Amino acid sequence: MFSIFPKQLFLVDPLAVFFLIVIGLVCVPSAIFSIGYMKEESRRKKAIGWSLLVIFALSMCLVVTAGNLFSFLVFWEIMSLASYFLVVSDFKHEKSVSAGTIYLIMTHAGTACIMAAFFMLYNYAGSFDYNALKEAITRLPANFINIIFLLLFIGFATKAGVVPFHIWLPYAHPQAPSHISSIMSGVMIKIAIYGMIRFFITILGPGPAWWGAFILTFGIISCLVGVIYALMEHDLKKLLAYHSVENIGIILLGVGTAMFFWPLGIAPVAALGICAGLYHLVNHALFKGLLFLCSGSVYKATGLRDIEKMGGLIKVMPATALFFLIGAMGISALPPLNGFVSEWITFQAFFAGIMQAQGGAKFFMILSTAALALTGGLAAACFVKAFGISFLAMPRSARAKEAKEAGFSMKAGMVIMSGCVIMFGIGAGFIIPPIMNISRGVIGADSVRGSFYMVSVLPPLIAGVLIVSGAALFLWFKFGMRTKQVSYNTWDCGYYRTDSRNEYTATAFSKPFRIAFSFFLLPYRKTEKIRDSFYHVRKFTYETHTTMIFKNYFYEPLARLVYSAAFKMRKLQPGSIHLYIFYIFITLAGLLAFASLF
Amino acid sequence: MTLAFILSGFLVVTFVLVICKRITALIRAFRIESVFLFLYTLYMGITQRHADLFIVCGLIFALKAVIIPFVLLRITRRINVEEDLGLLVNPQLSMVIALIFAYLSYLFAHKAMSLVNLAESAAFIVSITAVCIGFFIMVSRMKALGQIIGLLVMENGIFLAAGSIAGGMPFFIEIALFFDVFVFVVIVEVFVYKVNRLFTHIDTSKMKSLKG
Repeated sequence: MFSIFPKQLFLVDPLAVFFLIVIGLVCVPSAIFSIGYMKEESRRKKAIGWSLLVIFALSMCLVVTAGNLFSFLVFWEIMSLASYFLVVSDFKHEKSVSAGTIYLIMTHAGTACIMAAFFMLYNYAGSFDYNALKEAITRLPANFINIIFLLLFIGFATKAGVVPFHIWLPYAHPQAPSHISSIMSGVMIKIAIYGMIRFFITILGPGPAWWGAFILTFGIISCLVGVIYALMEHDLKKLLAYHSVENIGIILLGVGTAMFFWPLGIAPVAALGICAGLYHLVNHALFKGLLFLCSGSVYKATGLRDIEKMGGLIKVMPATALFFLIGAMGISALPPLNGFVSEWITFQAFFAGIMQAQGGAKFFMILSTAALALTGGLAAACFVKAFGISFLAMPRSARAKEAKEAGFSMKAGMVIMSGCVIMFGIGAGFIIPPIMNISRGVIGADSVRGSFYMVSVLPPLIAGVLIVSGAALFLWFKFGMRTKQVSYNTWDCGYYRTDSRNEYTATAFSKPFRIAFSFFLLPYRKTEKIRDSFYHVRKFTYETHTTMIFKNYFYEPLARLVYSAAFKMRKLQPGSIHLYIFYIFITLAGLLAFASLF
Repeated sequence: MTLAFILSGFLVVTFVLVICKRITALIRAFRIESVFLFLYTLYMGITQRHADLFIVCGLIFALKAVIIPFVLLRITRRINVEEDLGLLVNPQLSMVIALIFAYLSYLFAHKAMSLVNLAESAAFIVSITAVCIGFFIMVSRMKALGQIIGLLVMENGIFLAAGSIAGGMPFFIEIALFFDVFVFVVIVEVFVYKVNRLFTHIDTSKMKSLKG
């Protein structure tokens, strides 16, 4: 019974296989993309990059197939370290190194919590194996399980980037090479979701209903905070990183619904919730991976990440623009693409929950529904900004003007992923049943049947309607409406000529949202005018910033506290060997005194 | 009666170690302490009629009473520094502290071990006192020789403790320990010599400047 060597090395159940598929779907196109992306790097850097990529992908596969806590932890740590080295692969930049440090600190703080929880579990179960744990759970006192739940939640939430543990995401993801951002954002943070489903639901579950409400609350906060920050962001990759925070929130909404309704004995809603979570998980992996690859393609061609300096890229990089548009439509949940399907299932789970829930829970579910709807709308607005400002209109800088289309392998990677985005949308009818089977297996309710007939026919139907009506509109536009063509200059408000400086900027686009959410964003601005006379302003500088409340009011005070404590602790170490021996002696005396107490 | 003489002798010499102001005095006091340890082991060997113990006591005499003091005295002669040990705590206060240690050890031995045999408990108290005093010498003496002797005194104390409560350690471990201590002293001799050549002193309190 009691053995440190686990008997169950691997566990390959449907849930694990699902995650293996997700890993493959993102890692393979990203790897293909990286052939073109890393073309100009030195041989040595390529070799290191490839080997780390393989270690990274392999460690993720092993995490999801691990059959015991010990190997889970080992592979988890290999995954964290491999991704850390990939983040700092551009180690000559100070920013990369500091981003890597933030990531390393956060991920290890999380891992420490996971380790504490694992050892508590081991202490009770006497075994690291999942199966043995599952049996031992029934013997554990309730308070104890709750503590384990909270520790595991902090650990996994740190990796997943759930608000308020998201702080590392917008630093680490942009600094990594784009194909790595794609894997990190597309897959690695999902491994934490795997951890949550595996431990909270299949091993510890069914826990009390407040676990579900707890996760739902964090889901709501994550998706709103993530999308609001994304709206304010002008760095394309940072924007995408904040969208990862948002989408993790949406995934948690599904998982949280399941965890809320399962203990109440409403298995159909629970199965639907997990199904929604898993489907959104694979979808987010696909479109976020695609979007990161597109941003990498743009970065490769222009060297830019700031969308205020892009513009007009659709003319020079039509393929990348198309793929970005597909990804953007997916993430904005526009039918008939995949984001729509999974958010639709999430809504269905919420609606089913509202029908089944009683009293306050009903209100809570309505609130979650509203939050998801708001998130969807804001995400669409954000991608209108991201696509419009960076790909449309006139180029805002010389670099954007001289951009070249991505090479073959980069395009190939993006093609595969955009194909998947479309397939997972239109072919939802084929994909939902197996995912539903997995979610039934997860909560151990095989007999449950969900009603998905709407979902399975809806996306192809909408696609058909859209294509037909689009074609009709185009034909009407082309032949019916316009009879003659007049060409003239754009009316330009009396200016001599319009150039890119007259264009709508991303800052301007996001201003209404900055005002609407000013209670949370706490924006401030700085203006500076240099005048020749009252009527003639020679120079006008306008800066606007938002306050990062989690960073300013939580992490920075915490860091200051740690530093000041460390400086105080430093006094313990004055360099005197006599004092050090004295410490040993005091310890020994203390132990002797302690021993003589008993 | 014999045991009482040996143990009180050991205790008294241990107190003497605390008030030594000069390096050579400290080494000589350590030599006398080792002789008492040798006598204790010899007495145990005679009463218990155990062949191993005779070998051990022979080793104690050879190593701790002859070779180690000789090596240490030689190094003090060779490095030719001033005799003063550099006391951080003066002899009077050191003596008071040593007495407090003895009393605390007595309390500890009675509370923690609840020994019934008077001889055993006396030996145990003396041994704990020696360990504490060894520590105290390490902490409160500036010169590196102070730390070396302190450690050796502690080692003597631990040896006595093992002899008093467990009737000695297994033979093999005792031999290994002797070897360790011997190697330690040889290495330390070389190092003290080198350190003195390099820095012209062996004052460990000046190591504070190493800290960044």
